[in-house]
Amino acid sequence: MASGQEDKMMSPSVWHPRDATEAWTFKKLLDADAIYVAGGTLLRTQWEAGIATMPKHLIDLSSIPGLKGIVKEEHSITIGALTPLGDCRKDPHVIRHYPMLADAIRSIAASSVRNLATVGGNIASRVGDSLPVFIVSQAEFEWNTGLSPMTEDASQWAERLQEQLPKASHLLTRVHLPIIEETELVPKRFGAFHKVGRREAFTQSLVTVAISGGIKADGKLAEIRIAAGGGQTIPHRLPAAEKLLKGQIPNRELLGEVHQAVMNGYRPKSDPFATDEYRKKAAANLIVMELWKACGEPSGAGREQDGVK
Amino acid sequence: MALNKTTSGGRWRIRPDGPEKVTGKLAYLTDMSRDGMLVGRVLRSPHPHAGIVSIHTEKAKRIPGVHAVITHADIPGMNRFGIVNPDQPVLCEDRVRYIGDAVAAVAAETPEIAAQALESIEVEYVVLPVVDDPVKAQTKQAPKLHPGGNVLHRNQYGYGEVTSGFAGCTHIVEETYLTPRQMHTYMETEGGLFIPEEGGRLTVYSPTQHGYKDRMQLARILGLPEFNIRVVSSPIGGSFGGKDELNVQPYGALLALVTGRPVKIHNSRWESVRAGLKRHPMRIAMKTGVDDSGRILAHQVSIVADTGAYATLGAEVLNFAIEHVTGPYRYDSVEVEGVSVYTNNGVSGEFRGFGGNQAIFALEGQMDRLAEKLGQDPWEFRLMNMRKPEDPGPLGQTIVRTDGAMQVWKSLAGSSMWLDRQDRITDNPWLRKGTGAAFVMHGSGLGFGIPDPAGGMLALAEDGKIEAIFGYEEFGQGLIATLELMLIEQFGFGTEDIRIVIGDTDLVPHSGSSTASRATSMMWKSLQKLRGPFLDRMLDEASKLLSLPTESLRVGTGGIWNRSGEHLLLTYGQLAQGVQEEIRFQTHFPFPASPTKRIGAHYLYTYSAVAVEVEVNVLTGRVKVLKQYHAVAAGPVMNPQGFLGQIEGGSGMAVGFALSEDSVMDSGVYLTRNLDTYMIPTYTDLNGEIEVHAIEDLPEDDEHGPRGVGEIGSVGVAPAIAAAVYHATGKRISKLPIDPESLQEVPDFLVKAVSRP
Repeated sequence: MASGQEDKMMSPSVWHPRDATEAWTFKKLLDADAIYVAGGTLLRTQWEAGIATMPKHLIDLSSIPGLKGIVKEEHSITIGALTPLGDCRKDPHVIRHYPMLADAIRSIAASSVRNLATVGGNIASRVGDSLPVFIVSQAEFEWNTGLSPMTEDASQWAERLQEQLPKASHLLTRVHLPIIEETELVPKRFGAFHKVGRREAFTQSLVTVAISGGIKADGKLAEIRIAAGGGQTIPHRLPAAEKLLKGQIPNRELLGEVHQAVMNGYRPKSDPFATDEYRKKAAANLIVMELWKACGEPSGAGREQDGVK
Repeated sequence: MALNKTTSGGRWRIRPDGPEKVTGKLAYLTDMSRDGMLVGRVLRSPHPHAGIVSIHTEKAKRIPGVHAVITHADIPGMNRFGIVNPDQPVLCEDRVRYIGDAVAAVAAETPEIAAQALESIEVEYVVLPVVDDPVKAQTKQAPKLHPGGNVLHRNQYGYGEVTSGFAGCTHIVEETYLTPRQMHTYMETEGGLFIPEEGGRLTVYSPTQHGYKDRMQLARILGLPEFNIRVVSSPIGGSFGGKDELNVQPYGALLALVTGRPVKIHNSRWESVRAGLKRHPMRIAMKTGVDDSGRILAHQVSIVADTGAYATLGAEVLNFAIEHVTGPYRYDSVEVEGVSVYTNNGVSGEFRGFGGNQAIFALEGQMDRLAEKLGQDPWEFRLMNMRKPEDPGPLGQTIVRTDGAMQVWKSLAGSSMWLDRQDRITDNPWLRKGTGAAFVMHGSGLGFGIPDPAGGMLALAEDGKIEAIFGYEEFGQGLIATLELMLIEQFGFGTEDIRIVIGDTDLVPHSGSSTASRATSMMWKSLQKLRGPFLDRMLDEASKLLSLPTESLRVGTGGIWNRSGEHLLLTYGQLAQGVQEEIRFQTHFPFPASPTKRIGAHYLYTYSAVAVEVEVNVLTGRVKVLKQYHAVAAGPVMNPQGFLGQIEGGSGMAVGFALSEDSVMDSGVYLTRNLDTYMIPTYTDLNGEIEVHAIEDLPEDDEHGPRGVGEIGSVGVAPAIAAAVYHATGKRISKLPIDPESLQEVPDFLVKAVSRP
């Protein structure tokens, strides 16, 4: 027995919908008095810390059938929103086609938490550390909106979140990750995720970055997606940096410009544990490092010049 | 000798309390419960500094299920506590001085009712200006937190003339070092079960590092004779100094006595962070100068310690820092001054290392900077200025002579980690490797002039068990395992023959506190004193019962054996049944103290040399500790696993102190309120290799035996990390925890990558 703030919580009613539409109906009826709960791991910490109050009703999603598990299709992987993070991390399809998603999930909380916490919850929290990976992977989020299922590109969804809160009744059901094969035109693909926290494991992020791209036979970048998040920052893409890179062969000078573009474009949310300047520099450094690794040594062009700004 | 499982052979034993702890079977004191017990809770101040206008408890008292609501008016004895300087109100009367300050306490039937009762207590406060800076706190404008002002304690030490010393220096290094408000972060938060007994007695089941001291303090608060209180203080789920002072005990005890029912209190982590002690943040300004050969001519130190709202052992911690801020070196002149200052920043107190960690971090930083100015190897520079075995202690006091300083110096100098320190190749250009070292001299015991009793008891119990009875506590350090191994090795008993009795004031003698790296030393010394009389008496009695001469008998596993050890002649059970008078011996003696009369001066010192290899990722500025080497000269190893555990465990806390731990406060309010923002190292942060070399030799005439190692592993790691970071990046560290931003670089690594070999 440890007495503390958590004891002040009054017991809420818990609803167990049988399918996603019933869950949506409960939410519509109970409105602001209710909240969807899957693993509940993040909510629990918020209630305990007093930064959110426990509502009168909890809509327990865990009993909804068909939303758990990972299925590989011909050109995509579908992840049920109720799939525990721990399962997703160890899934052979995820490891093979999206190792950076496995990396991202490995960096989230600790294994006991990952066994409860779900992929859907990590996304719906809007600040989950897996989100940058979905954003750069052209993932599609499938939502139950009560009427018909709706899908939306992860990066568009995250972009809308910068402006407005998502509709509270919308229920994430599945995530579709396209499997993008290497082709003759784009023979090399790369992707990476990094998280910087305040220690090596079991830490909130200060900075997260994800990058995904393809390189043509001539060394030019066919396409590139970059996203950054971390802490309470809702992850977002870095379009200026992407634009600089697209169709180019990165050299040292260009990487310098990309570094600057990330510093300018990344909008971290402050907290007492790291400065914005630190976060920006970390994000820019990590992104440029990954580009440097993906494209091999930068071409001779700028090598003799001084270091990038 | 490298200390590990292989080199320890048969001495590497599963600790007796191990299986129950790792399986979760063991009931800690805070796991206990009683039928009909009430839940105790404490109402704490929401303000770091405020006057109390009124406290109304009527509403809370009326809530069904609430059995008691108490305030300062309900305290029968002294409304103050503090091990040495009782200046902390049990329940505040007219003023609160930190956000954990206790104002009222309740006992109720359930946690929910208790929480509701707390919310129903009406306290009117007048918010007062917050004193959150120990330097500003000393100015005239600062509000006075205590009648005597804001200075808890001031002390100084010196010899020679620093002014003329500096005048003759070729190089002078001046730097100010800052250390964090580290939290003990024991796994078991503070708590206990408090049971009123027949005849007006009270039993207190609550973790502490000194059961008798708690009993004395509680008697003073409750207005009861000490013998009316029984304090059961073991086993403990970690303390590290943090449970040395009273915490929840006064409230549990008062509520139990007021309600006449058992009361349980157990802090949540939130409450533990808010109310509990922290390590003193210190600001240590140093000016140190050398001549052109590298000899230290002058060393000037000024320490400002933030002691928070109340004293506890703040004065003693400052004294320890002043004593240890000169380390194992010789100087022509020294001038050290220090001040411990009251603020509204929580309460700082005793913590493993006791001010030595802060002092050595600063001192070793100076040594590295001076060596660099001289163009000398930092470890050679230390050797040149190293104390000699016959030199007096840091305060000019007589100390017990050992060769520990040279032994650990040599051990590190010859270690492969140190010899290979220029091998700095990493996998990637943005990773930088470096190695650094630090040198530690650490005193044990409480020091001159502070009552420091020791002792213990051995008895043959009626059931034939040999009881070793000591007033110490097991808080994870391995005291039970160490005591058991000493009894096996030094007496010849078998594991099954022994019963260890500790941590219960009704059963154990005054053995002093389980603090200050003293318990193992004092158990050893007690057993040395008890061994002869106890064994002689056993053999005498056995001789009578067996009608055999004592010379033909010996003590062994299970009982008394014939001399050659072929036949068990008498079990301990038979012996216990056969004796006329109980076999029981007790010893009392003080912890050895220096003949030099300076308060707090230590007599027994241990030495360690620590090397650390780090890798710094300059993209993120994050530091990873790859390897550690610890040479520790602390006399014979009593229990290899315990010794290793203390060094590794201490080092883990020091990695946190260096890299991630700080209770961040803003105007007297904690921003790190739980373990999601207060970052202790995880397994992943501590998975680097640690090599521990125990140097066991002592001078032939040494009579003090094993020295304690409870603290020393936590002292040298932070300065060694700072030195290693400098080696890796060329950036000096003067503030802990290390700010990754200070190590971040713009990625010119693209260029460097090409030019690297």
